[in-house]
Formats: sequence, structure tokens, C-alpha cells
Amino acid sequence: MSTPEYLARRLLQLIPTLIAILVIVFALVRLLPGDPASAILGDRALDADVERINREYGLDRPVPVQFGIFVRQVLTGDLGNSTSLKVPVAQLIAERLPITMLLTLMAALISVALAVPLAFVAALRRDRLADSAIRGAFQVGLSMPVFYLGLILLTVFGAKLRWFPVGGSGDGFLDLLYHLVLPAVTLALSLAAVLMRNLRAAIIDVVDADYVTFARSKGLRGGLILLRHVLRNALISTLALFGLSIGTLLGGAVVTETVFAIPGAGRLMVDSITGRDYPVVQSLTLALAVLVSVTFLLTDLLQAWLDPRIAR
Amino acid sequence: MTRLLMTGASAAALIAMAFTAEAQERGGTMTYGRYADSLFLDPVLNDANVDIWILSNLYDTLLLPTEDGQGVQAGLATDWTVAEDGLSVTLTMRDGIMFSDGSPITTEDVVWSLDRARNPENGIWNFLLASVASVEAIDDKTVTIRLSQTDPSILPALTVFNSAIMPKAAFEAAAGATDAEKAQAFSEAPIGSGPFVLESWERGASMHLVRNEHYWDMGEDGQPLPYLDGVTFEVIPDDATRILRLQSGEIDGAELIPFARVAELQNTPGIQMELFPSTRVEYITLNVRPEIEGEVNPLSDPKVREAMNYATNKDAIIQTVTFGVGTPQTTYMSSATPLAAGDGPLFPYDLARAQELMAESGYPDGFSTTLLVLAGNQDEIGIGTAVQQMWSQIGIDLELQQVDNATRTEEYRNGTFDMRVAAWTNDIADPGQITSYFAYSPTIDALHSGWKNEEVDQLFEASQSETDLAKRTEQYARIQEIFNATGPTIPLYETPYPVALQERVHGFVQIPLGNNIFRSVWLDQ
Repeated sequence: MSTPEYLARRLLQLIPTLIAILVIVFALVRLLPGDPASAILGDRALDADVERINREYGLDRPVPVQFGIFVRQVLTGDLGNSTSLKVPVAQLIAERLPITMLLTLMAALISVALAVPLAFVAALRRDRLADSAIRGAFQVGLSMPVFYLGLILLTVFGAKLRWFPVGGSGDGFLDLLYHLVLPAVTLALSLAAVLMRNLRAAIIDVVDADYVTFARSKGLRGGLILLRHVLRNALISTLALFGLSIGTLLGGAVVTETVFAIPGAGRLMVDSITGRDYPVVQSLTLALAVLVSVTFLLTDLLQAWLDPRIAR
Repeated sequence: MTRLLMTGASAAALIAMAFTAEAQERGGTMTYGRYADSLFLDPVLNDANVDIWILSNLYDTLLLPTEDGQGVQAGLATDWTVAEDGLSVTLTMRDGIMFSDGSPITTEDVVWSLDRARNPENGIWNFLLASVASVEAIDDKTVTIRLSQTDPSILPALTVFNSAIMPKAAFEAAAGATDAEKAQAFSEAPIGSGPFVLESWERGASMHLVRNEHYWDMGEDGQPLPYLDGVTFEVIPDDATRILRLQSGEIDGAELIPFARVAELQNTPGIQMELFPSTRVEYITLNVRPEIEGEVNPLSDPKVREAMNYATNKDAIIQTVTFGVGTPQTTYMSSATPLAAGDGPLFPYDLARAQELMAESGYPDGFSTTLLVLAGNQDEIGIGTAVQQMWSQIGIDLELQQVDNATRTEEYRNGTFDMRVAAWTNDIADPGQITSYFAYSPTIDALHSGWKNEEVDQLFEASQSETDLAKRTEQYARIQEIFNATGPTIPLYETPYPVALQERVHGFVQIPLGNNIFRSVWLDQ
């Protein structure tokens, strides 16, 4: 099968997945106790006010009708208004999601930048001091809760050393990047630990494989062997793990965005769930699902490029 | 010698005071860390404290609350007279007042704003103006508010955010067909007459206000207020991060400091740890219906409730949950509420008495019940854990149920809960609002508890139109006596608003109703 065919098949597979997500999220958010009116009005809600709000957001209509409206909104791109923030959902997602995507991307890049070289060092110096030190350090990073790690980084590099701002999102793109460094590192460390361990094991397997011994016997230079033969083959399984971790990374962004006061999609999601903001929860879940699916697709394509047997 | 020294010291203090009073410096932007962003900046249609507590910086009202939150003072109106029969209020508008866009504030705007605020279709605050029958512009300086019945809380009601004066023409020109749609469009770039104007708003992150060049009030230096060029609100939901940003000097103030951190910040050089008097009370609501979902309810037994009250060691809870910041309640409303009665803490801890009462009750061997606490809320979990242990001494087996707010609200409104932890803050300097929700059964069945007392209901109805202060004080004394003795709550404590400020910040107040007042703030430059 050629790559375009493979791509087309994978894109078609996306459609039922997204439809399933559409139905599940619509149902789930309504199965939660409480509703937008009770979240908006809180303890002082009077019956008349609850009725007024339900009428205002069409929540007094039969559930199948509400579902029909939701599907139409998704198809037309007009996602309605947030019940808690009163602004268009599409505008909210357009404001918040890119920040989370940037944070996730930065975290992914940092974790790869940390994991790949250190995995090489650890694998090639197997069971020696460098290996133990790297694995030991990552073990600490991996076992620390994200919010705690974030607070430590904030205290040390923000409040004490003043190298980075203590949370917030800054003004303009460059300032935003600067503000996202500490949260991205916070998110990256646990992923880097997982990737490093996986890649280290894979490199150890590959280094001893026959084709590497063969390449060496052909007289190829060490660096070229590491890059073309060892890394390429070792990366296949690590890449799959990396793709799967993007979902986890987006989940971790929820906590990180709260600790670092970043107005991203993770915080919007938490606020919308506690606020029973049905329109935002529905559309944002769908948007995140699309994002994760596209990431999976990209990693699969990369894997297929690294190992053409996969696309077959 | 001592006297001389003291005289010298007080003279020095006076000079210092006089000196600081004249030392207001102008300019600068104050950055204030908030735990959550605002949701909707419409004075009439908003629903939450995140809006209410800052609206007065953008929109002005005819009258203003005094800083102690108990009385009223001049705002957009300079004079106000309540008619002899108590059935109308006549107000005289201040000369030369303007909205932030430079257009004049007319009596037509006043009539339109108050009519919108009292429209029962609009929002959840119109009950505050329920006694208003009509609002009339007598001339271009005078407005008369006619009442359908006398209303002792009409003047405080004119200080509340929902009766803010808005520009009729600009609002009606906003995009949208309905009032709600226009309000959404208008509140994106609101025009009011408060000391500040909204300049930019990045939702969930920050909000920037700049000074209103047309604000009417004068500073101590004889120049127009505010002293500041602007105020920036930064949304920092995590308590620890909010404090870190204050300590690192990135923000000038931070609201809602957790009680656990108050003592630490009081001892931090360069930080002023303020505890502003508030109307906030924390309590446990008991469902007192004879049956809950078909099961007999022990909490309906007044002896059981009294026993639980005596078995609750409020001082211990104040120490463990508020770290000594809170104070015991003397009545169900905060002591900062007008007409609050009570002498001495309610139900001082007395375990022997509690055990006696339980033995006399219908449940001498105790019973099992549940308490709803807000998941992740340290104060509520701390209260829950404390009473769980305290009530085990009188044979009550308590299960804590951690739920989120919407879940709890649903059980609360359906009357299917056993008990819940709750807090209350007044929005108006009058005991009517809290009493209507707590004690007067027609509003929400007395905190959805099912409690009902005919005498309280009658007294409350009478007090709502009683303009003789002495008589109203008597009515409220009796209401409080009955509710405090037999009501459906376990009063726990009152707490102030904990706000931490940099040393260079002067003149900031959060009044007992919660409003953050920036109009007189100035910064050392």
C-alpha cells in the first residue's frame, strides 16, 4: 500500500472515532449531577432563575433535539455560546487551545532533547556510573507529582533566582514562549524519563543486533552507525510510546496550567466541567480528540517512514 | 516623664499621620492577583462574586456604601430624601457628571438603568428593588423613586452593584436583539462612570483597567480620583503560586490568602497582610425534614440538633481550620450586618450537655448520617474531619461525602442532602437578604432545610416594610432569637477577607460586602 492510500485509510478511520466521541461526550456531560443553571447560580438559585437559564440555553428542550442542535453546530462551525463565560465557544477554543498546543509541543521537544542524548549515553555506558546517575535522576523526576515539581521549579527558578517569570502568560508571542519554559520543563521531565528508559533499552537491543555488527565490520564510522542504524531502529518503539504520551501530556497540561496560571485549554476544560458548561465541554473535548488523533496519525506516518513494514 | 513621653509619641504619630495623609503619589498601575477571572461584567445580569466584587470600579451607583459596609454616602447623587410616608425617595444628581466616554449622565439614564435592574425578567438581583413601583425623572437633576410599600432597605439597595447607572443610548446601540444579547456586546467594552474603564481583557488570564478621566470624585490632593493610572487583574488560581508571585514582587496584591499562610505573611518584611472585616459566615446546614427520600431523619429532632451544636467545639475548628483568624458567631448573620444581635458565642462547647440532650432525644444510641463537603476545599474538609470526630462523642457516625459544587447544589436544591458545609456573604448592608434565605421559608425553604417557623415568617414580612428602626430592631432580635435556638444550622465562625499587599500599596479596601475598592489606592513610586 502506498503512503497516500495509507493516509486516506487512516483519515477515514478517524470519522467513526470522532462520531463516537461526539455521542459519548454529549451523554457524559449530561449524566453528571447538576446542570449549567445550578453551577451558574449556586446555592442561592431560585426556581424561576433556574427555569430562565434553562430556557435561555435551550436546556428545557428534549435531549434528542439538543443533540441535533449540537451536531448542527459542529457541522457549521458555529459552536454556540459558553454558559458560564457568555462568549462564543469557537472564540474561546481559538484563544485557549493554541496555548496548550504550544505548551505540549515545547514539552515534547524538551523531553526528546533530554531523552535521546541521555539514552545514548546511558546505553553505551551501560551499568556504569553515568548510566546509574542518569537513570537515578530521572527516577526522581518521574516519581514527583507534576504540581509539586512545578511549585519547586517556580520557587527556585522564578521567585528565588528570578531567571523565569512566576507564572502567567506574558505579552506577545516571544514573551509567551519565555513564560512557557518552566511549565514545559515541568511537563517534559516525566515524559523524558519514560522515553529515556524505553530508548535506552531499545538501543541496548539494537547495538547487539547482527546488522550493527555487520555495519561495523564493513568499516562504517561509529557516528554514522549510531545515527543510521542504531537510532533509526531503536526509535520505532519509542516513537509509538511518544505518540501515545501526547494524550498524557495534554492531561498533564491541566495541572500545569493551574499551577503556572496559564490560560490554556486544560484550565478551560476543568473550569467548564465544574461550571457544567455543556457547550464548552462538548466542543473542547471534540477539538482535543481531533488533536490527539492527528498526533497519532503523524507518529504512525513517521513510524511507517522509519519502518516501511508498518504501512503494509 | 511617662506622660510627657506619651504626649511626645502621640504628637509624633499625629504629625506622621498628617504627613502620610498628604503624601498621596499619583500614577502607576497596581497589579492584583485574583483566584478566578470575572465572567460577565453586566451589573444586572451577572451571577457571581468574581463579577460583583469588582463591578463598582467600572460602574457607579447613585449612593455608595460606607467603608464599614453599614451605611450609605453620596455617589452620583448628592442628596437624597425619603418622603414622610416612606413611599418615595427623591434624589438630586451631582453637577457635571459624565460617563467614561465623556457623555453626560442624565436622569433619563438613571430611570432606564433602575427600570432595567428591577425588571423581574432580568437576572437574579431584581428582588433588591422589588418594592419600587416606578422611577421618574422630575427634571434634569431630580429623580423620584416611588415605592409600592415602605422599604427600610431601599437606600442600601441603591448602593448595590445591580442599581449601577449605565448609558441608555450606548447600551441600546450595542449589537443584539434582546437585552441579554446587548448586555453581552456592551460588557465587552463597558461604558460606566466608575473610577476605572476596562481597556483590555484576556479571558482567564488578565484584565486591564485604566483611569476614568471623567470620574467625579476628588482626591486628598484636590485633583480628580483615582490616583492610579490603572489596575491590572492577573488570574492566578493556585494559592501557592499567587503568594509566590507576590513574594517575588511581580504583583502588588493577592486576594484570598489561605488562612494557613496568614501568620507567615504577617511576618514577611515588605508585605502588609490585611484582614478586612467581612460579612462572611461559615456554617453547616442540616436538613430538618421528618423524612429524606423515604427514610426517617434524626436531624428533624430539635434535641439532636441542639446536642450537635453543643458537641461542636467551634474554638477548636477556628484554630485548626482558620489558624485562629476566625471568630465564633453570636448570631446566624455576621456581626458586621446591621441589626445583628447576640451576646456571646452561640452554643459554647459543652460535651456533657450534648450527651444529656442526646440521651433525652429520640436517638439515645446515636445514628449514622452524611455531610457534603466541597472536593478539594481544605477548609470544608477540615471542618468535616473535625465534626466527624467531635460528633462521634455523642454517638453520631458521620460519613463525609466529597462532591463538586454543581453536584452539591443539585442535592441541596432537591432537599435530598443530610447536611452540608456552606458559607454566606451579604450583598447589601441590610439583614433582609440573609434572613430571607436563612429563615424566611417561602424563599428557599430556609436554606433548603425544610425548616419553617410561622412567627419568623410573619416577623420577616412585617420587617420588610417597617421603617421605624426601633421596631425593626425588635423584630430582628426576635427572629434571631428563634432561629439561633431552633434553626437548621450549626454556626461555626466568621472570617475576614485575607488580602496581602506590597508595602508600597496604600488606600486599598475590601468592604464587608466584598467589593474591592481601588479608587483611593496609591503607590509609592
